[in-house]
Amino acid sequence: MTKAIKEVQVNETVLSIDQLTLGFPGQDPLTTISWAIHRGQQIALLGKSGSGKSTLLNTIIQGSLSIQCQTQRVAYLSQQPALLPWVSVLDNVLLGFTLRGETIVSKHLELAHQLLEDVELCGFQYHKTSHLSGGERSRVALARALLEDADLLLLDEPFAALDRSTKIQMTKLCKKLFANKTVIMVTHDPRDALGWLDIAVVLTSRGLRGPFDLADFQNDHALIQALDGDL
Amino acid sequence: MNRILGYFLPVTLLIAVWWSIVVLFDIPHFILPAPDRVATVLFDRFTLISVHAATTALEIICGLFLGSIMGFTVACLIGDSKRLQSITMPTLIISQALPVFAIAPILMLWLGYGFASKLAMTTLIVFFPVTASTLSGFRALPASWDVTFQTLRPRRVKLFFYVRLPLAIPYTLSGVRVAASVAPIGAIVGEWVGSSSGLGYLMLHANARGQTDLMFAALVVLCSEALMIWSVTNRITLRFDKKYTANV
Repeated sequence: MTKAIKEVQVNETVLSIDQLTLGFPGQDPLTTISWAIHRGQQIALLGKSGSGKSTLLNTIIQGSLSIQCQTQRVAYLSQQPALLPWVSVLDNVLLGFTLRGETIVSKHLELAHQLLEDVELCGFQYHKTSHLSGGERSRVALARALLEDADLLLLDEPFAALDRSTKIQMTKLCKKLFANKTVIMVTHDPRDALGWLDIAVVLTSRGLRGPFDLADFQNDHALIQALDGDL
Repeated sequence: MNRILGYFLPVTLLIAVWWSIVVLFDIPHFILPAPDRVATVLFDRFTLISVHAATTALEIICGLFLGSIMGFTVACLIGDSKRLQSITMPTLIISQALPVFAIAPILMLWLGYGFASKLAMTTLIVFFPVTASTLSGFRALPASWDVTFQTLRPRRVKLFFYVRLPLAIPYTLSGVRVAASVAPIGAIVGEWVGSSSGLGYLMLHANARGQTDLMFAALVVLCSEALMIWSVTNRITLRFDKKYTANV
């Protein structure tokens, strides 16, 4: 059986959600949740397919009267890295500056090069993204999210389409590069976050449950119980 | 080798079937001329057919070009606004729903019997597939991409020109390929309704004089012309297609 863990410390609240009803127009609501995320928290958001995990992330990004987000600097990573095939890896990393119409100065370029080195894509700067593997593309998206220096990182199963060894590599990279960042990572498989995230919350039809120790979900039985909302 | 076979085998088979029907059923040449008779006409009246073929080719190519540019431009103007799309879509659909045969006489009246009316008809027939395909391209941005770009806090204009427009290009090109296959309809209908040049005019002229072999020769040239225009369009568009197709 999973055990609830107490909040270790209460920092500044980055995101607070008050009685947010998740659902789609014309359909029964999926669930109603209240939640507060503090600066520096790194949380795995678990839940069954269709429980509303991705909808929650999308609602956080799009905004709602029930959500108070203390920052505009939010980065989002999904299964699809959203890379433009006609520009280089470097231009994809710098895409945020281009789309905001900001001038790219040498400081930004140096940082982009450094981040590409951090995600082990040194030498790929001028390659087209269409020539990269799935893992390499995910790392380009990771570098772009890091360059945005976001206060809140929302990850929607970013490694789901990758093979196991690439997933492990990506998890290690995230642990190293997202240290001190506030992270919410949606996942079906707690193993994707093991060794990186410690806390898990579970989204069920009866609301948000947790926080729990993520290590407790490595057992399939405990995970199934948790996903069914039978905590 | 396979490619050459792919082109020539169906043509050879078609000619063989055509020839067999003429011989087996002893069909008179003024109903269905044999392929050799058509080939002879093609050779003997090469200059005449070439002049008319050039007119039709020019109408198709210019119409395809103009219609594609206009279709793409209109789609770009309304692509970023759902309200503009809902206002203009009925007009666009009407422009396609009206058969070119129905509006051909009006276009003749307004633009005369020369090149302009045929160009207008071809442009009209090309315009809608290109507009509709490009609009589909604007709507095809995957939801997760949309969310990702939203977090980059883009300027609307920058997002349109830097992301949405290039991502719509493969859809536009697909529309251009469809349009290239239907563009000859506009040119030929225009020539039938009223003209003094072009393969459509030549076919009508030959028909009135019972020159079925010349009609068939014009038809063969029209088919070849349409096929060549489509092939060239296909080659050019596929080159850009690969560049802008996103890996989603």
